[in-house]
Amino acid sequence: ATRSDFSSLWSIETAAVFVLFVCVPRVWFLNFFKGTLKFTDKHEWVRVEGSIGTVGISNYAQEALGDVVYCGLPEVGQKLEQMEEFGALESVKAASELYSPLTGEVSEINTELAENPGLVNKDCYGEGWLIKMSIEKPEELDGLMDQSAYDKFVKSLED
Amino acid sequence: FRKTHLSGFFSAGIHSKLTKDGSLIFQSKSTDIHQNLALEDWIETNVDLTNRRLFLLWRSHAAVVIGRHQNPWAECDLGAMWRAGVPLARRRSGGGTVYHDMGNLNLTFFSCRKLYDRQRNLKVVTEALRRARPELDVRATERLDIVLNGKYKISGSASRLSRKASYHHCTLLHSADGSALQSVLRPSTPGIHSNATPSVVSSVTNLTDHAPSLTWEELTQALSNLSYAPYFGLSSPLSLLDPSDESLFPGIGCMASELRSWDWTFGKTPKFTIETELSLSDDLTLEHTTAQLHIELKNGLISSIVITVQDQWLQQTLINELCDVLTGERFCPHRVAAAVSTLIKSEQDETQRRLHKLSNTVISVMG
Repeated sequence: ATRSDFSSLWSIETAAVFVLFVCVPRVWFLNFFKGTLKFTDKHEWVRVEGSIGTVGISNYAQEALGDVVYCGLPEVGQKLEQMEEFGALESVKAASELYSPLTGEVSEINTELAENPGLVNKDCYGEGWLIKMSIEKPEELDGLMDQSAYDKFVKSLED
Repeated sequence: FRKTHLSGFFSAGIHSKLTKDGSLIFQSKSTDIHQNLALEDWIETNVDLTNRRLFLLWRSHAAVVIGRHQNPWAECDLGAMWRAGVPLARRRSGGGTVYHDMGNLNLTFFSCRKLYDRQRNLKVVTEALRRARPELDVRATERLDIVLNGKYKISGSASRLSRKASYHHCTLLHSADGSALQSVLRPSTPGIHSNATPSVVSSVTNLTDHAPSLTWEELTQALSNLSYAPYFGLSSPLSLLDPSDESLFPGIGCMASELRSWDWTFGKTPKFTIETELSLSDDLTLEHTTAQLHIELKNGLISSIVITVQDQWLQQTLINELCDVLTGERFCPHRVAAAVSTLIKSEQDETQRRLHKLSNTVISVMG
């Protein structure tokens, strides 16, 4: 193969990638780049990036909670079992426990929430993230719902 | 014990009291605050509330109850409570601090998350009150308080949402001791900086101040007679239950113990700092000075403490030793007094006297 063969291949690939990214629906595009979201039946989401999972609550949960006034989060280094209570959110409506979606160790907590707990409502999938944790048992992810399964689940609750 | 003991709860005696629509109204026999809070937790954890409505009436002997994310040092006078034998309890629901005694009726509405509706619950209460005393002007506010004559609070609410269940509980002031209430619901400690949930202070009144003939029995009767509340649908007779009965409520003893523990009551306090000035004077020479006190607290423990004394009243090295002894200790006067006693005993004369004075002044900040 000559150099020119490779360069034509490269440009075809580039074009294909370009087309794929432009033409594919935006949600898929974001998920692909940001890491796919998985959901629990307690309305927490986890986004896997490498060996770290970022955890937050879903839009359904933040709407049901109302304005969050306080976030009670765990310590960095705390070990969590799947489904273990790791903290609580207090809103104008109620105090609500948070349950760990996976087994692992807390590596980071969102310190912004101390001064600005409303981020959980304003941007629940982005800046309103709660904790980051290591993923000790990746197989647990298979038991969680993907976006479409979660959407169906939420719909069934509303009926 | 999660969700495994339904058969225990719905034993013969209790099950027969359930109405067709699965509702149950009951009253707790206990007047112990921790036992009653444990009962609420037990029901929320163990009873499948899908298609069931439970309504609980209870009261307790004098106690101060703080919300899930509150700071007891900011909310109540722990020293005054200790001297009066008034216990502190931290509940699992959110909201602010309340004073309970035998003149305060507590109402807890349990339901599944889907049917959680606090406004409806309060409507049940206000309508029951109006039936009992039509001349009383009682109304629920947007903050979910119930006010009398538009300005005096007679009820406050708090609630908790968990996996599938919810509960909404509220107080109702029938004939509570107003002066005791005022004497305990003030801060222990000056200079607290914290983002814990603060209480909203309100003027309160008792129902009996406005309707003196309203007896306790009449009030509980009016509230348990909820067959007139069609949208709530509760119509079962009142059952009396003993929340310390482990055969009915297996695991409840454990739950009550957790609620009584220091780790839950004080250790769950969101982290905070204290920044205040101390006034110090030597008891013998009367030499006077001031000191700056800065303490950081996490989980109810002193995570760091810095004391800066003016005028070289006491050696800085000794003050630093005192701070080292205190670091990691519970923010509790008894613990701290015990921790510093060895250090104080190792000194003499003026140094000992002043060190003792400084320690006592720091301890007095703890309430």
